[in-house]
Amino acid sequence: MSEAIEVRGLGYRAGRSFALRDVSLTVPAGSIYGFLGPNGAGKTTTIRLLLGMSRREAGDVRLLGRSIPGELPAALSVVGYVPERPHVYPSLRVDEAMRCHAAFHRRWDDAWATRLQRMFELPDDRRIGRLSKGETGKLLMLLALAQRPELLILDEPTDGLDPMVRRDVLTALLDYVSESGATVFISSHLVHELERMCSWVGVLDHGRMVAELPIDVLKGGIKRIRLAEAPSNGQQLPFEVLSRAQDAFASSETWVVRGWSDPMVQYFDTAGATVREVIDLDLEEVFVELLRSGREVTR
Amino acid sequence: MFEEIDPRSPIPLYEQIAARIRVAVAAEEYRAGDALPSVRQLSAALRVNPSTVVQAYRDLERDGFVETRHGAGTFVRALEAEVREGERARQARALVRTLLADAARLGIGAAEVARALAAETGVPTHE
Repeated sequence: MSEAIEVRGLGYRAGRSFALRDVSLTVPAGSIYGFLGPNGAGKTTTIRLLLGMSRREAGDVRLLGRSIPGELPAALSVVGYVPERPHVYPSLRVDEAMRCHAAFHRRWDDAWATRLQRMFELPDDRRIGRLSKGETGKLLMLLALAQRPELLILDEPTDGLDPMVRRDVLTALLDYVSESGATVFISSHLVHELERMCSWVGVLDHGRMVAELPIDVLKGGIKRIRLAEAPSNGQQLPFEVLSRAQDAFASSETWVVRGWSDPMVQYFDTAGATVREVIDLDLEEVFVELLRSGREVTR
Repeated sequence: MFEEIDPRSPIPLYEQIAARIRVAVAAEEYRAGDALPSVRQLSAALRVNPSTVVQAYRDLERDGFVETRHGAGTFVRALEAEVREGERARQARALVRTLLADAARLGIGAAEVARALAAETGVPTHE
C-alpha cells in the first residue's frame, strides 16, 4: 500500500451555505501532508468525514488501505487523531485520561507516554477541565502519539498555542515520525509552520481542492515576475498567469505565474518584453495567490 | 550552527542543510571522525521533515564529505586539502554570484563591482 489516505469525489452538504464538492486527496505513505485552507474552507469537515464521524453524500474514502466507514474499527486502531476541540472528559485527571486512552489502544506505549508527560510537564492529578490551553494541546498530542499510530490526523494541533508550546508539540511529533516512519496529515492555516515540515501540500478553499502537489514543485513553479513592455493578453503562453498588475511608482508590470521554468524567459524576449526580476515566493504568498486565482475562476 | 536555515527560501531545505555542513567541513569546524547529529535529533531540533535530513546526509555522502556507519551514525570523512580548497572556492563563487545578482538589480555592472571589490580589499582583480 503506497497511499495512507485516498479520497475520491467526496461530497457533503451542511445546511444551505456550505458544501464540500468533489474533494479528492492522495496522501502518500510516509509523507507529512499539510492540509491548508482559510478558516471555513471545510478542513475540519473533511477530517470528520475521513474518520467516519460524519456521513458523506458522495465519494470514496480509504485510510491505510481500509475502506471507510466499512472497515472503520480496523482503521481507527492505527490512526491517531488530534481534534480541533478537546475530546476528553473535563472531569478526568491527566493520569485517568491516559489510562482510559491506553485501554482502547493495543499498541499504547506506557514508557513513552510517561516520558512525554514529564517532558510536557503535565501533573498526574490535574483535572482536564483545569488545564491551560497549552497544556491541553500537549495532552492531546501525547494521547495521539503514545498509541503508536501508523497515521496521524491532526486538526489545527497548534492553533492558539504559544510559540514555546508549539515548538514542544511539533518536536515530539517529528521525533515520533523519524523513529516510526508514520504518515502525518496536518491541517493548519499557520502556513509558515508547515513550510518547514511538509513534503506534500493540499489546498482547500470553499469546499473545493485548489491544488495538491509536492511542496518543492508547488514553491518552485509559482513566481512573481517584473516586466517592462509587458505583452498584452490573449496570446498563447507557455505558463499560466494567476494575476497581473501595473506596478505603483514604475512603468513595469508584475505578473504571478504558475508552471514557470527558467527557459521561459525566452518567451518574453521574443514578445519584446524585458524580464527585470523573477522573484521566488514563500509558501504563504503561494497560498494567497492560489486562493485569489481560484476564487476568480469560480466567480 | 543551523540558525540560518530558512524555510521560506526557494533553496530546498535539504540543500541548505547540506550546504551548511559542507561549509563547516571546509572550515574545519567539523573535523574528520566527528559525528553529525542523528537524523532524529536534527529533524526535531530544526522542526523539519526527517526525510529532509536523510536527503541532506545522502547528498553529503555521495559527495564524499561524510560516511554512514550502520548502527553508529554519520561521520565526517578526512578530506584531501585540495577538496577542502575546492569547496572553499565553490562557496566563494556562490557568494560572488549573489553579489552580482544584487548589483544587477540596481543596474550596476560586473566591472564596477570588480573595481569596488579591489578598492575595498586592496587585492587587485584581473580584468
